[in-house]
Amino acid sequence: MSSTHVTVAPEQFSLVKYDADRIAEITRELADALGVSNPIAVEVDERTPLSKMSATVDGASSDATVTLRVQSGALEDTKHLTNFSETRARLSLGRVMLRARDRLRPDFADAPDDLELTNAQNAAWDTYCGGRLERLGLGPVQQQYRYDFRNRFGFTDDADREFDRVWAADDLTWADLDGLG
Amino acid sequence: MRQFFPVEDLARDDRFVQTNMAERMADKRTALNMKKSAKSRGASNRLTPDRHDASDAARSLMHGIMVGEIQALEGAGRTAHDFEAGDGSDGTIPFELKLDMARQAWDEARHVEISAKLSDWMGTELGQFQENTVLFEAACSNDPVLRLAGVNRALEGLAIDVFTQMKEFGQIAEDPFLEFCEDWMLADEVTHVKMGSDWLRRVTEHDPERRAKALEFQQVVDKLFSFGGARGDTDESPIGLARRFRELAGFTDDEVDTIAEMDHDALEERKAAIQRAHETTSA
Repeated sequence: MSSTHVTVAPEQFSLVKYDADRIAEITRELADALGVSNPIAVEVDERTPLSKMSATVDGASSDATVTLRVQSGALEDTKHLTNFSETRARLSLGRVMLRARDRLRPDFADAPDDLELTNAQNAAWDTYCGGRLERLGLGPVQQQYRYDFRNRFGFTDDADREFDRVWAADDLTWADLDGLG
Repeated sequence: MRQFFPVEDLARDDRFVQTNMAERMADKRTALNMKKSAKSRGASNRLTPDRHDASDAARSLMHGIMVGEIQALEGAGRTAHDFEAGDGSDGTIPFELKLDMARQAWDEARHVEISAKLSDWMGTELGQFQENTVLFEAACSNDPVLRLAGVNRALEGLAIDVFTQMKEFGQIAEDPFLEFCEDWMLADEVTHVKMGSDWLRRVTEHDPERRAKALEFQQVVDKLFSFGGARGDTDESPIGLARRFRELAGFTDDEVDTIAEMDHDALEERKAAIQRAHETTSA
């Protein structure tokens, strides 16, 4: 059992049928799988069905708190709206937690805050996260990431080759991602 | 073969989960930016590639288009089969109208295939999103003239708006397949609306009361199809009202203005309902 300290807000949901304890469990499982031992605060905005996410880390030490902010759509079962999807939650929280883990590294110190990223920077970083989530066995749909990447970098063979390189990578820096395109 | 199929009996495999407008409107969350006025910077909800969630929103809409095409195919097919050939009175329809409905069913079948391939291209699995059956519900009337109003003018009119939006999305994103496919399907939809406009006028030529009833039904369906203001003239709505293509399809300026007003009212009603829900939640 993971010892990672996880809090989830709100503790009770009123607009969606989510369980804060289950979200905390999944977050702990992901933290174990990704080697994140920092305390984690998950904040879910249940007022919107959109699915924007962001991660912040208040420092670079191992006890710095990682805050994951997600809109309710990021955890939702799209076949049964307002219901929770464990699969979707693992992919969404895993993606944003990988970003947080990247931010703990010195070579990501120059990365802007998540909400300040351009659409292209977002697509590049999401691709980098998507490939790593696939290798963890979480089953992201690669074609979905590829379409997002094409939307930002062009519907060209060159863009596809860049996508394949980033998807397969495990050791990129912020400069690598920011320099795409 | 059985006639007059209820919406509950639509054939779907287990990938598909269906919903209806009542369930959709019971969701008190909103994607609308409630804090900004329509004129303020960044208030646009229009589905364009520069939105941060552009791909997700386009995927969801494309899936909605695909299931809408399935229902439009079912609706046109039912109308071709459900009514006997005749002069348009006593529950009959002209034989030429049956032929037009058969042609439309053929078009819609092609659109289903195109939309399924586009969904695959965008990274969506069939059945990934729930299917709203409101489109087929508009095709269940016992009066064929009401079906022309509800399906060919309201539903296919909505299709004109949606395809125009998606075509522009593909054009701006430089997605070669999306723009091309939407343009071809849009041309078909304009034809379908035109067929509905022409047949509605011809079949009710000597029955003004029936025509008025059909147009009234169309307004009810049009309001439903505004999806709480998801379609409208202002940038607060993700889908715009495609005035030029609607004109080509036989809508008058007054009719389009009326739809725009209904869309606006539906948006304001939706915003007020959400505001009330949030106040109740906060209290």
